[in-house]
Amino acid sequence: MLLEVKDIHVAYGDIEAVCGVSFSLEKDELVSIIGANGAGKTSILNSIMGIFPPRKGSIIFKGRDITAMPAHQRARIGIRIVPERSRLFPRLTVYENLLTGVYGLRKKIPVDKRISWLYGMFPILKERRGQLANTLSGGEQQQLSIARALISDPELLLVDEVSMGLMPKLVEQVFGILKQLNEEHGLTILLVEQNAFASLNISTRGYVLETGTCALSGSAAELMDNPRVQEVYLGH
Amino acid sequence: MRLFIEQLLNGIAMGSIYALITLGLALVYGVMRILHVAHAAVFTVGAYVGLFIFQATGSLALAFVGSMVACAILGVVIERFVYFPLMKYPPFVPLIGSIAVMLSIEEVCRLVAGPYILTFPAKLPFPDIYAGGIQISSTLLAVYSITAIVLFFLWYITTRTELGLAMRAASQDISISGAMGINSHLIVSITFVLGSAIAAIAGILVGIYYNQVYPTMGAVPAYKSLALIVVGGLGSVSGAVIASMLLGVAETLLIGYANIPLPRDALAFIAMIGVLMWRSEGLLGSSR
Repeated sequence: MLLEVKDIHVAYGDIEAVCGVSFSLEKDELVSIIGANGAGKTSILNSIMGIFPPRKGSIIFKGRDITAMPAHQRARIGIRIVPERSRLFPRLTVYENLLTGVYGLRKKIPVDKRISWLYGMFPILKERRGQLANTLSGGEQQQLSIARALISDPELLLVDEVSMGLMPKLVEQVFGILKQLNEEHGLTILLVEQNAFASLNISTRGYVLETGTCALSGSAAELMDNPRVQEVYLGH
Repeated sequence: MRLFIEQLLNGIAMGSIYALITLGLALVYGVMRILHVAHAAVFTVGAYVGLFIFQATGSLALAFVGSMVACAILGVVIERFVYFPLMKYPPFVPLIGSIAVMLSIEEVCRLVAGPYILTFPAKLPFPDIYAGGIQISSTLLAVYSITAIVLFFLWYITTRTELGLAMRAASQDISISGAMGINSHLIVSITFVLGSAIAAIAGILVGIYYNQVYPTMGAVPAYKSLALIVVGGLGSVSGAVIASMLLGVAETLLIGYANIPLPRDALAFIAMIGVLMWRSEGLLGSSR
């Protein structure tokens, strides 16, 4: 088991956004958590990354309890995030944004090699490498956010609403890249999405989140056949 | 013409000193989004520690190093024990805490060193220069050179090193910088170390420049540097430096030439009010 989330509760003041969610990921899996806006998806990813700690429950990564570990240490042991709305550093260049992803790891990681691999996958970033991140279009920002998360060669990639605000053609392209990373590079990915169809389409398994609790779970195919999922999330 | 050039040279020196004080404030605002008013008290402590070491050893070099170390420690102590526990409250809470720290430190200085004005009779190891009938005193030359070195050092750190990249990233989005593997709490402490050590340098320079060290010497710089980071653009280090230089020159020239019925210290606040009314993001600030 690569990641195990046990009964986590996340609350902002008195408002509980996540009330007792448990799930797990095996190595090499691509798992989706789907749900409507405000279902608690982002809160779950932020507590796995350590950006916002859960009030209760535990998070186990590679057999080690990391619930109390600060975010920067989780990043060092191989967890990386593509945050909601990219969250790039707006006044750093594209290249500098990439370098933040290998902070403290430059001796361990062949940075130049990784960067040329990423430029191969996202050619627009190479073209724009000297530009400030806040001058990029929405799609370019998402690509840079993914590249910044990948540069350190993580074991677990958390992806938060990557399809938000992207044109359908770009959504397809980005999901294609995630699928390729999972299949060809064995990257374990936890995907959080409102776009249920696109994400289940590339996933092995999925969870459906409703108002902070896990309503359904199963293989991607099972979920896509489920009448309730079809009605609420797939618009049939 | 000669008078004008001499006034200009004095103005640049004033501006340099403002810049050295304001830098720390801009750096701290950048990573923590708090107004570190107590920074001016760190500046005062810097002047006193420098003076005491100088009196005890006669070495100005030791005075600078010792004072920088003392202020760096003081800055980190303020950050750990005052700001860090107060960060979870709305921004006016750490601001009030900061004002309290400033007043407390002022009183400690008064208790330890007495309420008098002490003199700082040190000569900085720079030559006096005469060129074309214009004199540049060794103190002026020292202020220019030391400011230039500090600014270059800071520019080098922030733009050419991995630490600087982390500092810039943390000042733009501190929670995401944590997710990139950057220990943001450590970055905050390093920022306090840098800002406070620079304040120590400013304290000693001001002490020598005016030949005065006294407990409330930080009061006017405290409010003026607040005005300056607003004028420069909150969190913008280069904006703070430019605003400081402009203010130093404007103050000196206006007092020398225009017979304005305002105290010179009013100028900074008039500029701040103007910026808040017409360009609230400041000279170089980015609107967020």
